[in-house]
Amino acid sequence: MSQKRPMIRVKNLHKVFGRDLHVLRGIDLEVKTGEVVVILGPSGSGKSTLLRCVNFLEEPTAGSIEVDGITLSAGERGKARDAHILQIRKKAGMCFQSFNLFPHMTAIENIIEGPLTVLGQSRKDAVPYAEELLEWVGLNDKRDEYPSRLSGGQQQRVAIARSLAMKPKVMLFDEPTSALDPELVGEVVDVMERLANEGMTIIAVTHEMHFARDVADRVVIMDDGNWVEEGPPEEIFTNPKHSRSRQFLAHILK
Amino acid sequence: MSDLADTAPDTIPQEAIRVLDRIDQDRKRFKVNLTIAFAVLLAGLLSGFMIIRLDFKFMFNWLGFIMTGIGYTLLVSFLAITLACILAVIGALGRLSGNPIANSMATAYVSLIRGTPLLVQVYMWYLALPQVGKALEELGLQGMQYVFTLPAIPAGVLALGVCYGAYMTETVRAGIQSIKIGQTEAAKALGMTRRQTLRRVIFPQALRVIIPPVSNEFIAMIKDSSLVSLMGVWELSYRAIKIGRRYFQSLEMLIMVALIYWVMCIILQSVQERIESHMARGDRRVS
Repeated sequence: MSQKRPMIRVKNLHKVFGRDLHVLRGIDLEVKTGEVVVILGPSGSGKSTLLRCVNFLEEPTAGSIEVDGITLSAGERGKARDAHILQIRKKAGMCFQSFNLFPHMTAIENIIEGPLTVLGQSRKDAVPYAEELLEWVGLNDKRDEYPSRLSGGQQQRVAIARSLAMKPKVMLFDEPTSALDPELVGEVVDVMERLANEGMTIIAVTHEMHFARDVADRVVIMDDGNWVEEGPPEEIFTNPKHSRSRQFLAHILK
Repeated sequence: MSDLADTAPDTIPQEAIRVLDRIDQDRKRFKVNLTIAFAVLLAGLLSGFMIIRLDFKFMFNWLGFIMTGIGYTLLVSFLAITLACILAVIGALGRLSGNPIANSMATAYVSLIRGTPLLVQVYMWYLALPQVGKALEELGLQGMQYVFTLPAIPAGVLALGVCYGAYMTETVRAGIQSIKIGQTEAAKALGMTRRQTLRRVIFPQALRVIIPPVSNEFIAMIKDSSLVSLMGVWELSYRAIKIGRRYFQSLEMLIMVALIYWVMCIILQSVQERIESHMARGDRRVS
């Protein structure tokens, strides 16, 4: 695994909201192809912002982002930059805490929307793969349902299928289970785990301990916009080096 | 709730059933009373007509003539609302635009039109515009006077369309802004451009939000279209006023034309309700 080239390289990333809310204070992160990285940290530590900077949903204030060979530095402007952002977004699928399915489209329409609109595929080409994905997330019987008639767990699984329909190189999960009722968490984590086993590169912000401990290759701990430490999960969970990590882990592992 | 009722209907105690019965009865009684109240109102209205000795025969005789005015009323209203919708979408995009020229133009348009009476605007299009054409012609621009001298119906359509477009700009803008930011983010994350996001994700959802206020505007426009009578178009109210004056029976004619407008608006309202329930299909939890 260590010989593989990095899929994502974040260098000295800063994000300042307004003039004085310094949310990310110089983050460096490398994720190799096929690697599963979980970012942990107290709320407000900048985990989500880091994730959202990777696909430019948040504009980085300083630093650079590289996704699968496409590099963009903060502060660039112009047409070339916009094109690069679109390229990065096509390579990086994202799942949100609140699912954000399109409510006016059925499950299958949600999934083919990206391929039709962004990739310019025909309906005939997009539908079979979308159906395959629906089956893969275990929802082929919900093909023609609108999101409002699906449970939270089902909606999140459709959202994952929607991202996968773009054939992304990396998946970004932004607290995908935080809005779910406890009994629905398992079905979503299960899909994420299968995705990891199939070799998908994943960065996940999640408090789902099973995923962090048993699926992740590496755990990164953040606090107050700073990188605190990282390592394989067994090391981080049993023997954290930093006192802030220890405090945080003691809190969530209780 | 329904699950409980389905699985264990026999466990509801007698006294609870009595309460449920009473709630049902109250509901029924309200419906009956409401119907009676409406009937009394209607009877009152009709007997009021009798007391002032309304000439029903006269009304009936002229009904056909007045009704032919509906054609103009609907023509002007449909053309004007179409124009208004187009202007409203352009205006809303302008109001939300980061481009200073587009933004300032849209803002000025809304401010100016909403800040002046529709009546003044109607005369502006019909009576004042030819003067602009004349001035341009004198500057050497051939044919401008002809272009700027509008017949009554185009002038009316422009006046109503431009005016309602300004009000509806704000409706459309609010509709677009009411869509949650997560929708835009999901579209962006898929790699959609801003234009694709608007067209595929924001507009279809905003449409559902703005259908009720836009229908309201349309109903209001049906009535405001009577302003084109100022320019001598033989639409509904112009006919009623003419005939009323000629025979000194304005009361009959005005009551009749008011009723015709009322019925038209009731019909439109039911169409609006149909469209709304169709648009709400993504919302429905139970089929």
